[in-house]
Amino acid sequence: MRLLVTIVLGVLGVLPGAGGAPTQSSVRFAVIGDSGTGDRVQYEVARQMVAARTRMPFELVIMLGDNIYGHQGPDDFVQKFERPYKPLLDAGVRFYAALGNHDNEHNRFYGPFNMGGERYYTYTVKNVRFFVLDSDYLDPKQRTWIENALRNAGDDWKICYFHHPLYSDGGRHGSQVDLRVVLEPMFVKYDVNVVFSGHDHIYERLKPQNGVHYFVAGAAGQLRKGDVRPSEMTAAAFAQDQSFVLVDITGDDMTFEAISRAGQIVDSGVIHREARP
Amino acid sequence: MTRAFRFAIDHYLFLPVGAAVALSWANNWPASYFTFAYRVSFMVNDVGMALFFALMTREVVEAAAPDGALHTWRRLMLAVAAASGGCLGAVLVYLGYLQMGDESSVLAPGWPIVCATDVAFTYFVASNICSQRVIPFLVLTAIVSNAIGLVVLELRYPIGEIHAGAGIALSMVAITAAVVMRRCDVRSFWPYVLVSGAISWFGLFLTGLHPALALVPIVPFLPRTSRTRRFMVDAPLGARDALSRFHRTWKYPGHLVLFMFGLTNAGVVLRGVGTGTWAIAIAALAGKPAGTLLALAFAVAAGLRLPRHVTWRDMIVVALVSSTGFTFALFFATVAFPVGPVLNEAKLGALLTIGVSVLATAVAKLLRAGRFAERAVRRRASAPEYVGV
Repeated sequence: MRLLVTIVLGVLGVLPGAGGAPTQSSVRFAVIGDSGTGDRVQYEVARQMVAARTRMPFELVIMLGDNIYGHQGPDDFVQKFERPYKPLLDAGVRFYAALGNHDNEHNRFYGPFNMGGERYYTYTVKNVRFFVLDSDYLDPKQRTWIENALRNAGDDWKICYFHHPLYSDGGRHGSQVDLRVVLEPMFVKYDVNVVFSGHDHIYERLKPQNGVHYFVAGAAGQLRKGDVRPSEMTAAAFAQDQSFVLVDITGDDMTFEAISRAGQIVDSGVIHREARP
Repeated sequence: MTRAFRFAIDHYLFLPVGAAVALSWANNWPASYFTFAYRVSFMVNDVGMALFFALMTREVVEAAAPDGALHTWRRLMLAVAAASGGCLGAVLVYLGYLQMGDESSVLAPGWPIVCATDVAFTYFVASNICSQRVIPFLVLTAIVSNAIGLVVLELRYPIGEIHAGAGIALSMVAITAAVVMRRCDVRSFWPYVLVSGAISWFGLFLTGLHPALALVPIVPFLPRTSRTRRFMVDAPLGARDALSRFHRTWKYPGHLVLFMFGLTNAGVVLRGVGTGTWAIAIAALAGKPAGTLLALAFAVAAGLRLPRHVTWRDMIVVALVSSTGFTFALFFATVAFPVGPVLNEAKLGALLTIGVSVLATAVAKLLRAGRFAERAVRRRASAPEYVGV
């Protein structure tokens, strides 16, 4: 019944938040991290994504790593990716994956992950450029690559995503400060707007750090219930249930919603892109 | 020089002190620590550690010379067998442990880390718990283990962009220059270090090999006349040969480098414990000692002999002590993994291998091996004879 109501309201375009018909310039995507458990809750989150798409028709999904847990054979890709997200895949939604510590590096050759066989890569959708990193192995070659890629990017929006969070109030892992020391200066220097990461199995939005907005969204399959230690850098957090994030970028505004497995919007807001000097 | 400073020098304590400071710093003020470590890591790991490896090479050169403590091919063969078995056992346990989870793809490349044995640390632990008779064997086993690990690491993980042709050419020039200086009877160590060493550093860098090893092929060419029969001892005060003077000049800066190495590399976030941490620790705790002992058993069955007056109980303790990776495991980890959470896990595992030395001490006491056997004999000798009524 709830799904039916959602669909009807979605068709009518009356739901709040990031909904409404897409405009020519809008880029809409969903964010999932630590998703590939293959268990019931992953399927339930996937169903919420399908439901959400009826009111906000996103065209891509970014995956923050740990896309397939456990054994990683052909059957696992079916059970932990193709089957739960089948309605989205059938609708032509494209998934763009980053690798996590539980992913086999050969998963970059798996076609539906759209990684082009690379551990790190970049792609553009309209006025948004995405940079996908492999935070498991941030070797000098990758560091040089991301610096050059960021320097050469002239797109309005620059969004980076990778598995390990530079900022996190997750109790299990927390901030990866060693990675932050390497990456953050580049993000600040080259005007990265938003960074998405997973690894901590929670949802968290951080207050802007040096002008960059950080999200932790590692609960699309896994969950560490209550594993948030709020700090002065916490803007919002949710760790009571699985969740994913919906994003709509239109012009200079990025609207986001964090949605729980039960379909509840647990955080939302708008990030305005500031022109930096 | 104060007694405390002297004690710290003699017992190689600067490294553990640096490591302890780093651990505290990284877990209390991570942002400032990692900024510091990232900035100085090149100077410490790629430049400063060249001095440490040079001093270790000097120990090997002295000890492996015809009059040295590690001479004779029989000793070498047994140590090669023990080290090979230890490395194989450690690697198999490491990879086997990873197979039980799903992080093998990320962590498997770190397998050479478990080949590491901290030569100085194990030497001092062994000096306190083992019989003096097994120490040359232990040190030789440690050196061979590290050599195996280093060769694998250098081949698997080239550093930076590779210009093999230019790099090999420069390395050849460096070694040739050292040979020429030796032939021309150059008696100061400075030209060897500043000319050959510098060229060798750039040669290795261009080849993609770790430049910290730059002085390893150069030190054996330093003129040597000293007769050091023991391991890890100072050059004789009166010795004026280049190798002895090199040691006297660089010994204290070498300890500073070790302190900086500990400070730069041992700072790990304790809650970053992960699968890699346990894999390395278990490989050191179980795989390496088991592999060492099995290889020794095969070697003895094949006709090699244990060192004279050394028992299998001694060898069990030696196999445990030689599984302490610590400094070398930290170094190997920094070569195998770039900065990030995986490196953090591996470094924690490297630090945990210190625990194997504690275990070795307990086992030695339990088995009454090495020094504990000698103490037991002394106690029996000094005990009053029981006279029955």
